[in-house]
Amino acid sequence: MLHRSLIGTVALAAGLAFIAADAQAFDQSKYPDWTGAWRRIATPGVTGQPGSAQPKRLGPPQQAPLTPEAEAIMRTSMADQAKGGQGNYPTYICIPPGMPRTMNPYGAMEIVITPHTTHMFMEHIHDSRRIHTDGRDWPKEIKPTLVGYAIGKWLDTDGDGKFDTLEIESRGMRGPRAFDATGMPLHADNKTIVKERISLDKSNANVMLNDITTFDSSLTRPWAIIKRYGRNPNEKFSWHEENCPEGNAHVEIQGQGYFLSGDGHLMPSQKDQPPPDLRHFKQSAK
Amino acid sequence: MRCNRWTISIALAAALIVANAAASAHDETKYPDWSGQWRRPQGVGIQWDPSKPLGPTQQAPLTPEYQKVFEASLADQKAGGQGGDPTYTCIPPGMPRAMTVVFPMEIVILPQLTYILQEYVPMIRRVYTDGRDFPPDEEPAFLGYSIGKWVDEDNDGKFDVLEIETRNMKGPRSFDASGIPLHADNETVVKERIWLDKTNKDLLRNEITTIDNALTRPWTVLKTYRRDLNAKTIWFEYVCAEGNRHVVVGKNNYFISGDGYLMPTRKDQAPPDLKFFNQPSR
Repeated sequence: MLHRSLIGTVALAAGLAFIAADAQAFDQSKYPDWTGAWRRIATPGVTGQPGSAQPKRLGPPQQAPLTPEAEAIMRTSMADQAKGGQGNYPTYICIPPGMPRTMNPYGAMEIVITPHTTHMFMEHIHDSRRIHTDGRDWPKEIKPTLVGYAIGKWLDTDGDGKFDTLEIESRGMRGPRAFDATGMPLHADNKTIVKERISLDKSNANVMLNDITTFDSSLTRPWAIIKRYGRNPNEKFSWHEENCPEGNAHVEIQGQGYFLSGDGHLMPSQKDQPPPDLRHFKQSAK
Repeated sequence: MRCNRWTISIALAAALIVANAAASAHDETKYPDWSGQWRRPQGVGIQWDPSKPLGPTQQAPLTPEYQKVFEASLADQKAGGQGGDPTYTCIPPGMPRAMTVVFPMEIVILPQLTYILQEYVPMIRRVYTDGRDFPPDEEPAFLGYSIGKWVDEDNDGKFDVLEIETRNMKGPRSFDASGIPLHADNETVVKERIWLDKTNKDLLRNEITTIDNALTRPWTVLKTYRRDLNAKTIWFEYVCAEGNRHVVVGKNNYFISGDGYLMPTRKDQAPPDLKFFNQPSR
């Protein structure tokens, strides 16, 4: 009898300890393994800066459902860029790209999952995101930011007791923002809503899928695309500190983009571009 | 007999489940609660040593050579320049200055890594607590490379102090906005001990010791951060480059006026050389 009582006591104690451990611990095993460095997956033959819709080239090949007004802004931007200007491309002076463009991503991305927040750290102009997963409602007032305010919800879509998908909605963005480097614009009214569903590819745990839909007044309809990010499990990755302003040779004066030459002088960025107005200087320029 | 074997099996299974849960869980109770938003206490400025005013009264233990560098910085700032403070062009302050916490900070503790997130510039510090050594060929960074170790000082089974050592920084860096310089050789080592105040869990202490060749001795300061207890914490986005009026052309700093024109930052400053322009200036 004593023997059975002892065994029963052990069983009860172990069960209680299990419950206690679960209550105090953040059980990472319930969440997918999204550790490591994630980068956009390049498409052979598609070079240059990443477009919003992978694997298409930038600009018109993106086939973005732009309104006629937004299409005109994009084409004006591209024409200015063809002449050496920056067009509608605010990131050249290190303004962060904001949402949704930050999810291209330009550099490497790290995702850190904690009980109440999922952090996305970007190594490009440090436009990192906080995704609140604590069940909160949208605040009555959101201070607009370039990346917006994001609320997320974890889903167990296959019913195996483990989360596999993060649904995110982002609101409260401000501008200026563009979808990509051509200057494909988001509307100046900044009423953008971005919805995402992020999960690992079921056939390859080193590929992450982001089903991202943008609702914006520059679009004739919601624009849904799937972005793919990859990680190299064999890579001994080191987080490289990227500082956009360091060595940035772009200078903006009077709304005009200029450039700093290799020997540190101001120079034009377009043919026949006049120099800046020096009215505030007493001395004349050399 | 069957009943005994069955009972033993249940007991064993339960024990195994406990062990498994412990192995896959991050036991947050073992770590201090450093959650939330941390700010400088009210009334504390952005000088390096919070107990002393900004400038020469910091009494930085500078070598004679770097004392001259500092004095030149102060003189330049008095004349309208930026002196030895490189951050006016949005270059990150780096370590150790990042820990002045100009704008709010968040600390995220995970088993292998503690993240220190700064809203100023902004910066992401990764403090590796997985027992690794300093890598031999890591690319230098303004924030350097940080390795940390959790310490249970009072032996209550719970960590309470994070000791950090940071190396491998690059420059230019200064201690604060007055331009107190760090040595151009970038051989700085920064050691920190971070812990919650024992009498007030909403105050975080950081004892920071900087070892640098611009100094005659290690320089130790104590910084304090207060936890924002506002239920509606706001993480505002600081974009340094946005609206930054400073323009550097060559070695000269200029300014963009309110009406968007280039202007001097000091008396009788000459405009930039426009030799690369075909057309004359308007």
